[in-house]
Formats: sequence, C-alpha cells, structure tokens
Amino acid sequence: MAEVRLTDIRKRFGALEIIKGVDLSIEAGEFVVFVGPSGCGKSTLLRMIAGLEDISSGELTIGGTVMNDVDPSKRGIAMVFQSYALYPHMTVRENMGFALKFAGMAREEIDARVNDAARILELEPLLDRKPKALSGGQRQRVAIGRAIVRNPLVFLFDEPLSNLDAELRVHMRVEIAKLHKELKSTIIYVTHDQVEAMTLADKIVVLRSGVVEQVGAPLALYDDPANTFVAGFIGSPRMNFLKARVAAVGGGQATVTLTSQPDVQLTLPIAAPSVAVGDAVTLGVRPEHFLGQGKGDADVKVKVDVAEHLGNTSYVYAHVSADERIIIEHVDVRDIASRETLTVAIAASRSFLFDKDGQRLR
Amino acid sequence: MNVSRLATTALQYVFLGTAAFLSIFPFIWMVISSTNRSIDIIGGRTGIGDAFGTNVANFFAQVDVPLVFWNSTKLAVLATLLTIVVSSLAGYGFEMFRSKARDRIYALVLLTLMVPFAALMIPLFMMMARSGLINTHIAIMLPTIASAFIIFYFRQSTKAFQTELRDAAKVDGLKEWQIFLYIYIPVMRSTYAAAFVIVFMTNWNNYLWPLIVLQSNETKTITLVVSSLASAYYPDYGVVMIGTILATLPTLLVFFVMQRQFVQGMLGSVK
Repeated sequence: MAEVRLTDIRKRFGALEIIKGVDLSIEAGEFVVFVGPSGCGKSTLLRMIAGLEDISSGELTIGGTVMNDVDPSKRGIAMVFQSYALYPHMTVRENMGFALKFAGMAREEIDARVNDAARILELEPLLDRKPKALSGGQRQRVAIGRAIVRNPLVFLFDEPLSNLDAELRVHMRVEIAKLHKELKSTIIYVTHDQVEAMTLADKIVVLRSGVVEQVGAPLALYDDPANTFVAGFIGSPRMNFLKARVAAVGGGQATVTLTSQPDVQLTLPIAAPSVAVGDAVTLGVRPEHFLGQGKGDADVKVKVDVAEHLGNTSYVYAHVSADERIIIEHVDVRDIASRETLTVAIAASRSFLFDKDGQRLR
Repeated sequence: MNVSRLATTALQYVFLGTAAFLSIFPFIWMVISSTNRSIDIIGGRTGIGDAFGTNVANFFAQVDVPLVFWNSTKLAVLATLLTIVVSSLAGYGFEMFRSKARDRIYALVLLTLMVPFAALMIPLFMMMARSGLINTHIAIMLPTIASAFIIFYFRQSTKAFQTELRDAAKVDGLKEWQIFLYIYIPVMRSTYAAAFVIVFMTNWNNYLWPLIVLQSNETKTITLVVSSLASAYYPDYGVVMIGTILATLPTLLVFFVMQRQFVQGMLGSVK
C-alpha cells in the first residue's frame, strides 16, 4: 500500500477544462471514494491516476514518486473496470495471470498468486472457465482477482458494481469491504451511488464539474455538508431545501422565516454572520429529520401528494408551496393518505442554513 | 393456422424455393455439363453424360494444372493475408485513435470506393509498367492490399470491441501493437474469418486486372486459363466446365470451413 497525492491536477481537451485543479491526499491503506453525478469528472480523474488519460498539468505522486509520465503498468496500480474488461478468449486462470506472465514472472509464482486470489474470492471451481460462462457477480470477482494477483500499491475501482443487479450489488459491496479489511491496501473507488460511498469509504471526495466540492469522512459529510450540492448528494432520499429569509441576526445566531409560510420561524446558530436581515437563504432539512407536530422548534404545514409505505418506514411526498416539494420520512405513522394536510416539526439542531450561493452558513 | 397465414407461408416458400433454385442451378448445370461432350452441351442436353473422364483428361492435357493452381493460390492467399493485416490495422487505428484529421482521412478512404476500377486501370497499368512490375504477381497484389471496403468493415466491427479491454491491457503492461496482436485479433477472430472469406473470394476470382498485367503462361491464374479456354475458336465446353468446377472448389471449401465464423463476423459488423 502507498499514499497518493494529487497537486493542482488539471485535464484539458483543447479549450475545455474537465478537471479544474484537484488537490487531494490519500493516505496509505485508506479507502477513498470519488462520488458525483454523471459527467463530474470522477472517472476521468481515476483514469488520470491510472495513466489511461494524460495529465494536462499538476503533479501526481504514488508512494512518493512522481507518476505523471509513467506507463500505467509501472505505476503500481491495478484497476477494476465497470464492464469487468475480462479477456474473452482466455480462461479465468489466464485472465488473472496474464499481467504477471507478461511481466515475465515464473510460472510457479503466477500459479501460487492466482490460486491464492482464487481462494480469497472463492473462484477455485471456475478457474478453467471462460468469462462468457460466468455470471455477472463471478465476472466481477475475477476482475477483482486479476487486480489482487498483481499485489498493487493502489487498487482503482471504476464503478465496479454498476452492471450488477440490486441484490448482487449489496453482496459485492460487503465483499469489497471485507477485502479491504483483509488486504489493508489503498483503494480509490469511483461511484455515482452515494450508498456505496457511505458504506465503503474511509473518506469521500465529492466532485462536481471537475471541482472537489468537499472531502471528508462519510458521516462528516452527512452531518456537516459544505454546500447545498454536497448536502443534496449525500443522504438518501436527498435533503429538502426550503426557501427562507433572514428575519434577525445577532448573538451568534440567525432567525429565519420560510418564504412560503412566514409564520414559521427558526433560529439557528451562526458563528460568523455573513448575512443581513432580509437576505434570501435556503433551509435544508433531511427527510429523516422531520419530527412529529410540536416535537421540534417550528411546525410546518404540508400537503401530501403521495405516501410510500415500505414497511419499516414511510416516505411522504408533499409540498410546502406550489413549487416547493419535499420528502418526509415517517417511521411511526402508517395511515397517511394523499391530499391530506400534515403538520411536521423542524428541529434547529438538525437543520442546515445555506446562503443564496448555496454555501453553508455555520 | 388460418387461410391467409397459410397462403403467406406458401408464398414465402415459393419465393425462397425459386431464389434457391436460381442460385444453385448454375452449379448443377456446371456439374452436369462437365460430364457431357461440347456438342451435347450446345445441343441443350440436360442429363448426365459419359464424357467426364475424357473432359478431365483433355483439361489436364491442355492446362498445366499444378502451375496454374499454385499461381492462383499463392496470389489469393498472400494478397488476402496482406489485405487483412493492412486493412485491420487501419480499421483499428481509425476507430481507436482520436485526432482532428481522422474523419477527413477516413472520408477520403471511403471516397475511393466510388471510383470504378475501370477508371484506375490505365493509370495503374502505367505505374506498374514504369516500375517494371508488368507480368509479375506483385503487380496483382499491390493495388488490392489497402481495401477501402475492408478498412470500413474492420472499423465498423471495431466499434463492438470494448475500449475497456484496451485499457485493461495497458494497465497489464501491453504496448499498442501487443494489444492488437494478443487481445484485438483473438477477440475479433470472427471478423477476421469473415474478412478472409470475402477477400479470398475476391482475389481468387480476380479477372480483369490479372488479364491486363499477366502476359506469360507461367504467371497466369485459373480464372484467366478458364476464360482463355472458353474464348478459343472452337471452345470445348465440357473441358471449360471441368476448369470452372476446379476454379470454384477452393472458394467453396474456404466458405464451408469458415461458414459459422463468417456468419458471426458479418452479424458483428452490422450490430
């Protein structure tokens, strides 16, 4: 395992800049997840670390060595691809041992490594099969095995579970977590699925349009998002955003009123006030943080559109005003119906305030 | 099954049966004619005759069969291999490498498909004559090697080649030419088989260009020889049919051996 450092990494295609100056430190043995919507540059950044895309400017080091112009095979990385990228004309054993054979390793050593990886991934009965005779999950395990045998400094995973069905995805997620525990290697993992990011990562890097929006531990990002983008991306269902206006500022706190329901007032702590009375702000409340009527700091009336009852919980899709739709998670109440008016409470301690540019007001 | 469906099915069978008969009839007629004397063939005899042995003996007496077959085989196999190597490399390159000039160059390559061979014949002949290549097999092969159609075919087929395989191979330490050799060729073997059948048939049956370039009997191919037999002052059609059968056999053999992969390859290219 090795640490990875990215310093002002940029990627340009002609005049178009895709990655706009990424600075990042990944410690040895850390499981880092790049997460973001489609087109945010997360896969491009991973491919730049792998050496499959050139770095336009900036510096990449792996284990202290500058890797900008080093061949992918000499960077000490191994990569698992979304489509598995197994060589269809080779057996599982040949696929797993191909890179080692190509590097001129002795046959006994290759066999030992392949057998070892096959044992860890329970692939032993499949070693002589070709990829087309394997299920999606088995193929993914072979792809991981192919990476393991190389004993790399850094594992790179590019949306490895996207092609699997929901059940298998959960299973493989657990397998990857176990593998990281066992191998204790540095892993950089790209996904657009925030559940994968939350469950697997030691550290999440949230990207948008080639810019790192926030870096932190999963719960730190959940509890303390830096802006509306991160707040909306981390957490499922996503955070609700309500338009509000500052009614009073002072004494290390700000009082806001909802634009749609001015009688709803909430006072939140703000250490360094950067807003003035009358400013438009956004109040963020996660669906799971709504409380029953009278149990929070302010009550909000909502009109129910649809209620989804999942058994253990219910999601209420409602609107506060014509253009402000929200989702409320209700654990206790199972008899909510559409077109019903519901009153729920917001707690100041579980709410987030953002300025008009979407930046967090702390 | 109702009446209209029955009628549709019957019509389909009639159509397919007619098409099959029209396709197979020349072969049947060729085989039957090879057993008859020339005079019987001209007379319209459609039954199997007893002159097969005589026709074969006459053909072997008139034609240096081993030499002619060697010329045809050498030309067809070499030209096919060279065409496939050059055109698959070009198809791979056009699909895999991005550049501003790529699409323009590719459009130019495709434009050459629009130029009929008749328009190229004389300039090509002059080029070969100036290069001293007239009456050589190299002159036959050179113009066929970079085939715009086969480049197009390989580029289209390469679209189905997963780019992640190339990435995985790069991470595994392969250089571009090694990716082509160890990954691309084995993965695309159906495409190669289909291209081999198409190009081999074209080269084996190549007639006009060899007719212009090859002038001595030592260099002539089977198509030229059969044609010269048929255009003799008194053509012996029984002997011509023996030549035609022998000229057809290698292409039939190549097709039947590679039939499965040919179909797979053709399907792959249009997917």
